[in-house]
Amino acid sequence: MSGNKANRKAFKALFYSFAGFLFLYSLYLFLSNLDQLFVTEAAVKTREITDVWGDDREIMNQFAGGFWKDPYFWKSLNLTVVTTLITTLIASIVGIPTAYALSRFRIKAKSIVEILFSSLIVMPGSVIGICLIIMFNYGPLWDLQNALGFRFAHSLFPGMVIASLVLSFALGLSAWKAAFDSVNPRFEQVARSLGSSRWRAFRTVTFPLAKSGIIAGIILAWTRAMAEFSAVLFFCGTFMELPSSRFSEFTKFIQMDQADWVSVAVWAQVEFGNIEYGFALAFVLVLIGGISVYIMHRIGAKGYIW
Amino acid sequence: MIEISNLSSDLGEFHLRDINLTVNQGEYLAVLGPTGAGKTVLIEYIVGIYKPEQGSIKVNGEEVTELFMEERNIGYVPQDYALFPNLNVGRNISYGLEARRMPPEQIKDIVSDMISRLKIDYIRHRMPLHLSGGEKQRVALGRALATEPGVLLLDEPLSALDENLRTEMARELRRIQRSVNGTFIHVCHNFEEASEVADRIAIMNEGRIIQVGTLSEIMEVPANEFVARFVKTQNIFNGVSDGSCVRIGETEIVKENSHTGNVIVAIRPDNIEIVENSGQENVFTGVVESKKLKPYFTEIFVKADIPLLVLCKKENSFKEGDKINIRIPQEKVIVIKNSE
Repeated sequence: MSGNKANRKAFKALFYSFAGFLFLYSLYLFLSNLDQLFVTEAAVKTREITDVWGDDREIMNQFAGGFWKDPYFWKSLNLTVVTTLITTLIASIVGIPTAYALSRFRIKAKSIVEILFSSLIVMPGSVIGICLIIMFNYGPLWDLQNALGFRFAHSLFPGMVIASLVLSFALGLSAWKAAFDSVNPRFEQVARSLGSSRWRAFRTVTFPLAKSGIIAGIILAWTRAMAEFSAVLFFCGTFMELPSSRFSEFTKFIQMDQADWVSVAVWAQVEFGNIEYGFALAFVLVLIGGISVYIMHRIGAKGYIW
Repeated sequence: MIEISNLSSDLGEFHLRDINLTVNQGEYLAVLGPTGAGKTVLIEYIVGIYKPEQGSIKVNGEEVTELFMEERNIGYVPQDYALFPNLNVGRNISYGLEARRMPPEQIKDIVSDMISRLKIDYIRHRMPLHLSGGEKQRVALGRALATEPGVLLLDEPLSALDENLRTEMARELRRIQRSVNGTFIHVCHNFEEASEVADRIAIMNEGRIIQVGTLSEIMEVPANEFVARFVKTQNIFNGVSDGSCVRIGETEIVKENSHTGNVIVAIRPDNIEIVENSGQENVFTGVVESKKLKPYFTEIFVKADIPLLVLCKKENSFKEGDKINIRIPQEKVIVIKNSE
């Protein structure tokens, strides 16, 4: 008995020291490179940059005095935040009722639906991206786009929303289902036996009890959408040279034109030699992700929203 | 009053077969059966969690079989009480009244009345997490009774309580049922518990109701061997009857009965008398094989021609190996047709 206890203690000590070492080392690497945020000149100037990005946007050369002065950065951020919020909203509106149905009703194809979405979670983003390309560029969905007069792929909306929605929805769904599963269905049955409609029983009993799990699901869905990279890159590409469309004026108006999804922008900048800019964008992503998860956890824990 | 007619259904693992049951207004019925007999499933069909494949359920004369749970006016206290953990005791009790959109003053009055009737004033503002088993049970009862249901279903309400509290709460349940003159259906697997609370007992096994009757009816005239065993008629034997006596192996017991051929003979241990003299009708001599002291009596295992369990007073001088005469009164011998 005491041997087991000692073993557990030793394991705990080993685990925490290893995890702590990894954490501190990552923190050290990150902090020691923070000076990269404040570079005023491009480290590398290659011909490709001007070829691809255009003469009028020699990014790092206009970037004197910090990345936050560059409109490209703010447009990217704007684009990502707005699009991921739309994605999260759609995922929540569809996902929360679906998760409730999967958790509470006896549905025949339930296990198939669950396996389908669970397998999406473990799928690489590139696979999702290529599947979306095939799905939307052939067959009935292609005909639909022709009928509507605009393309889904390589578009801000719905292209980016679709690309980020797939994994965001899948991850959110599993979290929301787990949240509903954790609430004893007896509560709802008793509430209904007392004369509550199904909706009132849900609103007054199940929902308040599943609240923190639902918030956790929303956080997961949002952060997953924000972190999406390969699916967005595959399905939408980069946006610097987005062909003009009927929405061009509108995207310009809402300050989202000629910008990239932040996680794609990180890659794009590094790809073209602007490692510092890439690092700066990555830093912003880490900051936003960390702060938002913290804030939403606090809100969820205190139940302020409802 | 509740009337269940020809209720049959299949839930895969559990099924109900041709359930017919009537519980009168103000009656307390216990549904008793072993684990897996279908008792809880029966409750779930009555409350409306599932819709039966055939049969009908009427509450106070009104057909409710096709109604949603919220339209049936059937109170339900599940085994784990399912008190809403996000609401305090008062809000739990007022939940059903709020669902009926009653005026707040009326809700307040009903809740106060229920709380004082159940003697739970001191926990009115407490959350369910901080209640003991007995308190939880009272709150669950109060919540279910506040809406004045046509019938109240209790699914093993005492199983989560410890032994001492169980007896106390069983009496309390009975008192509450009397005070509201409610129709109660109480599911349990414990014969003592059922006998403590119920006016009538329904014995259930393998999705069927085997027998319904008062405690003494079930104990004195069990419908079959299963019921006899379930109500703890310890001495059960296979025998042969000729109408005037039954033969168990070499032993012949005089008993006028209506069966001939293979029968089950059951003798309750509390019906066997220890007598001084042999030579009377149905008196057998045996040896005390072992003796077990119980709280209110002593169990004696007697080896006569047939092994018998006999109950006698706690104070007795019998020792293991003693020879004793035991008498089995003819009217106390239960003879059941052996259907196998």
